[in-house]
Amino acid sequence: MTQHASYGPVHGPPEGEISRRGFMRRMLGVGTGLLSLQFIGGTIAFLWPNVTEGLGAQITLGTAETINTAAPQWAEGLPYVYNQANLFFVNVPAGQARVEGEGLVTTPIPDPGDEVVALWRKCPHLGCQVPQLCEASQWFECLCHGSKYTILGQHRDGPAPRGLDSFPVSVVDGEYVIDTREVVSGPPAGTTGFDERTTDSIDHCTG
Amino acid sequence: MTIEKRPNATADKNVPTQAPARAPLTTPGTGPKLPGPPGVPGTERFRLLAYVKQESMVRVDKRPDETLLTWPHLLRAEFVMAMLISGLLVVTSVFIRAPLEEMANSAITPHVAKAPWYFLGLQEILSYFNATVAGVLVPAFYLGGLAMIPFIDRSPYKAARDRKLMWVFFMCLMLGGLLVTLIGSFFRGPAWAWTWPWIDGLFFTL
Amino acid sequence: MSNGERGGISRFIRESAVWRSLFRQPYPTTSRTRALAVMNNVFLHLHPVRVKRHAVRYTYTFCLGGISFFLFLALTLTGLYLMFFYVPSISRAYQDIQVIEASVAFGSFVRNMHRWAAHLMVLTVFLHMIRVFYHGAYKPPREFNWVVGVVLLFCTLWLSFTGYLLPWDQIAFWAITVGTQMAVYAPLVGAETSFFLLGGIQVGQDTLLRFYVMHVIAFPLITAIFLVVHFWRIRKDGGISGPV
Repeated sequence: MTQHASYGPVHGPPEGEISRRGFMRRMLGVGTGLLSLQFIGGTIAFLWPNVTEGLGAQITLGTAETINTAAPQWAEGLPYVYNQANLFFVNVPAGQARVEGEGLVTTPIPDPGDEVVALWRKCPHLGCQVPQLCEASQWFECLCHGSKYTILGQHRDGPAPRGLDSFPVSVVDGEYVIDTREVVSGPPAGTTGFDERTTDSIDHCTG
Repeated sequence: MTIEKRPNATADKNVPTQAPARAPLTTPGTGPKLPGPPGVPGTERFRLLAYVKQESMVRVDKRPDETLLTWPHLLRAEFVMAMLISGLLVVTSVFIRAPLEEMANSAITPHVAKAPWYFLGLQEILSYFNATVAGVLVPAFYLGGLAMIPFIDRSPYKAARDRKLMWVFFMCLMLGGLLVTLIGSFFRGPAWAWTWPWIDGLFFTL
Repeated sequence: MSNGERGGISRFIRESAVWRSLFRQPYPTTSRTRALAVMNNVFLHLHPVRVKRHAVRYTYTFCLGGISFFLFLALTLTGLYLMFFYVPSISRAYQDIQVIEASVAFGSFVRNMHRWAAHLMVLTVFLHMIRVFYHGAYKPPREFNWVVGVVLLFCTLWLSFTGYLLPWDQIAFWAITVGTQMAVYAPLVGAETSFFLLGGIQVGQDTLLRFYVMHVIAFPLITAIFLVVHFWRIRKDGGISGPV
């Protein structure tokens, strides 16, 4: 029994036990809480973006032949810029040859098979558009804040936290299909294994 | 009515109908003085002009009125300020055009990509620290820290000398924020490289 | 029905049943009617009947809170005007702004005013916060109102930020791209937050629509609700704070 300030003694269950009224009140609270959570969850689900085309959908890029027709330098390693989905489509063996030959490719590779990467042109630092490969350094060099990446997207310099993000590519009936529904985070900064020239040893397009 | 000349706020509540309508209301000590020896305290003489019935004799602890009527005092102040700000806005809007550049194009990144000015401090911090620290901890600490101020500083004192720690904390937030915002706004150019605004020009749009 | 007397018409109006149904007392000239004027009017009722003497001094508050609220009202009005000529579609938005600037009467003026008032409001809200801190006005019983104020600061920034995208020009596009990319750095749900805000992976049509809805209805409404709480709490916490 507890003493209420203005109503005198209040009859209730012994200390430590819960009254029926108290139980109902708590259940009402829990129910309202659950309902609110449901409402918030439902709101987020309703407002969740519904992407059906462009970036965020499955994109069929075509065969190696169609890419070579659209961008003849692709066989020499220059990344193919696919603007509709904001991508660099890199011919990996040709790209590697291009970097090692510092821009000169003796034997073009028109069909790299599944050795391709689809790099997202959005700089993982603050989202600027990464321009086409810099001729001087054979790196991707972001204009906004000076982040620099190799032709395969590894981070080499600047404030970005990691390399360029990419999307999984599969080959279906000889056509490249890029699944942009899921972003693959770029390799962490400091990833080596390819193109280990230092920033100071080469010329650049940005500071 | 002459009620407003009375120094006590509570008197307004009960309009004294007994008071003669034309006689000025006075209370001892505030009434018009008759000529007495100037500058000699205690020698002034007073004349009884009106007799006002008080609600009770117990008025001793009520201090002189420290309030004003909202109409007209506060409303006048607000109106004047609203007119000043409207004037400022009109003049600014007539003479200074809001910026409008070329149409948005996701394929062309401008050489300088800056967030709105109030986020430039954050963007500046992003160039110093790793992203999670600068992009998340700093803004969370900033807004959270601001919101927590009344719960950190529990002392009842309001003077600056009595809450030195809070002043330091708050000034760090404000001046630190101001500093990085100014740097981000005026001293950063293409590729977020350091620029001097008087040499390289401004890279800033409102 | 002028009887030739001076002020005949105005007296006729003031004595008409319509006028007297609107205003319950004559023009307030006495303490009593002035008090009633504030009490009986829903808009003036935001204020108490009497305020502290220092509260009307410009050098105490610098009117910063009042100016912020006034700018909020000015932004609501100019924003409403602009809405008549603006479609939040990436194929139309930029042209609409150009039309507002070039063809709509006073269009450029209204757009300028909306933009400058928005920047000024961010500034005055910050200054208001500094003023309140200076006077220690976050001390009990005003702690909660300070927190509401921080929420309003966030709302102000968010309103300004969402409005920044709407002209759909290069400044807007890249400022929002850079700004929302900061959200990606949040732990655990950073990328999801950005995806949710942008309505996609990058700034596009869905982003424009989302920002438009947040800018013209969702956040003005949320801000208005918090403003009501803010003003209400000022009165419930004993009016404006005292000098240091």
